[in-house]
Amino acid sequence: MISENVYAPVPAKLVEVIDETPTIKTLICMPDEPLPFRAGQFMQLTLPGVGEAPFTPSSSPRQADQIAITILRAGAITELLHACHPGQELGLRGAFGKGYPVEKTEGKDVLVVGGGVGLAPLRSLILVLLDNLEGVNRLSIKYGAKCMEELLYRSEYDSWQAHDKVDFECTIDNPQEGWDGRTGVVTTLLTDLDIDKSNCLVFVCGPSIMLKFVTLALTDDGVAPKQIYLSMNRRMSCGMGLCGRCNIGPYYLCKDGPDINYAKIKDYPNVF
Amino acid sequence: MSTTFVPRDRLLQIISEQQTVTAAATETCGLPWWDAACPAPSLQPLNEPRAAQSPKGFFLPAAEAVARYGREATTAVETEAAPLVLIGVRACELRARKVLDAVMLGGDFKDPAYERRRQQTTVIACDCLTFAETCFCPKVGGRPYATEDFDINLTPIDDGFIAEVATEKGHAFLGDAKFPEADSKQLARRDELRRQAIERLQEQNAQFDFSADDQSQPALPEGDSPRWQQFAADCVECGACTNICPTCHCFYLYDQVANPEEFERVRNWDSCLFGTYHRMAGGENVKLSPQPILSSRLANRVLHKFVYSPQQYDLLGCVGCGRCIDACLGAIDIRQVVAELGE
Repeated sequence: MISENVYAPVPAKLVEVIDETPTIKTLICMPDEPLPFRAGQFMQLTLPGVGEAPFTPSSSPRQADQIAITILRAGAITELLHACHPGQELGLRGAFGKGYPVEKTEGKDVLVVGGGVGLAPLRSLILVLLDNLEGVNRLSIKYGAKCMEELLYRSEYDSWQAHDKVDFECTIDNPQEGWDGRTGVVTTLLTDLDIDKSNCLVFVCGPSIMLKFVTLALTDDGVAPKQIYLSMNRRMSCGMGLCGRCNIGPYYLCKDGPDINYAKIKDYPNVF
Repeated sequence: MSTTFVPRDRLLQIISEQQTVTAAATETCGLPWWDAACPAPSLQPLNEPRAAQSPKGFFLPAAEAVARYGREATTAVETEAAPLVLIGVRACELRARKVLDAVMLGGDFKDPAYERRRQQTTVIACDCLTFAETCFCPKVGGRPYATEDFDINLTPIDDGFIAEVATEKGHAFLGDAKFPEADSKQLARRDELRRQAIERLQEQNAQFDFSADDQSQPALPEGDSPRWQQFAADCVECGACTNICPTCHCFYLYDQVANPEEFERVRNWDSCLFGTYHRMAGGENVKLSPQPILSSRLANRVLHKFVYSPQQYDLLGCVGCGRCIDACLGAIDIRQVVAELGE
């Protein structure tokens, strides 16, 4: 439940900090009251006295009382969030945005494409889809990271692809000692896609440049813009469509996204 | 709705008996809006053009604490919203408030502080019979007089005002005083004054060839078009236009220490013209802003007023008050922008 004052955070205790990669940590937060969310909806995480930053939980929405937030160290506030320790008091406000249109995946081939820390919100979606695999035709996950050490949630890949309908493939940007998997950016995993392009939905999350080239690769390959959902994360401050800073044309990514259908935004400049 | 005639001296007396009154400026006070503390309240502003500032700040202050939280408790800051009577609010300002209402109260989430201030305010609107040189409300589907969204509307006429009382709050403002119904001659005179006012505004804006309203707008080029550059070249990114605009509502939330036990969250006006407005965190090779170019930010502001706002709220985001023209250090005239770039 969102607190009555839409600006006030719900106190949340940091119960665990997981070192995921040299630059990424996952903060497990336990809010004073459950904060229900749908996969893809985001929350504002408060570092008391410092401020807020928007993150999409990486955990399953089945757990509204224990919310995992996976954070790349990228600036002032994430630097401070990385320095947090278990027991510390944080705050959460949300959930905001539409969330992934999970209901539309019924009977479809679902392609999930992640880049770097972009796998975090997609993990929440993957966990939802794994809970209901009868619903989808298949689930194909493609993931790219800078290097071996930056591969996120490494210990979970095997359990994901243990399901019949699921395949998982990852790549790192450059060859590296001790790595015998694929190399190259994530679009190299999209060249010989074995999915039903006329009956698929694609969910993409990653840095802007990756979103751009994945979108171009997919549309060149015959996937229609309306089949592609992009995580367009901008500097959301309020999260509710009031503060104005996250617009693409008439859409506010905080309330009309952050995962937004590419067909809606493709004709506006400054998308990528 | 009742339409009465209120003599000037009686209105001034009613105003002086109110507890909390804020009205449009007089030169006597040297303030954009005078309040109950003004030593010499006057009704003169009601015969003058709109004030230099709109009443936006009464509903959405430039900076306001909107939440307070601490280790022990998360509490809503109770916004002090004492009853307030605003006198001399213009039609364009009421139209602008409609846009603010749509943004702050029209969606799934409501801004509680805005809502409280909004409810506590009585609006005594007033026709414009004189204008600033930059006024252009008829070009954007407006009229220099209000027909809705006020508690009372005043039309200066002869030695007093035709007062259209629309709500209970309006009746409460006038109190027990009884005034005669405005007669048909007075109403005919009002219609004539209003007709002349529109005519003069149209004349004053004859050189700007465009028209827009809530339903239809001129087509403008996308934000990446080089055609915006001719205007962006004059923009110094000061943010005056967004601050002075009665519909601009963009803000930023920041947190600060309120007292040793508590922090507070402040809602602060922001400007989409600023280079830092969209800036995000990120390392090397990451695009830090989706709007790194000034001309695309300027375009975004104008497009929001004339294209996006009608799509979002069925309301034009520009009400034609002309304040951004007065405020612009680079002498950018939004009428000229829309006339030249619009098709």
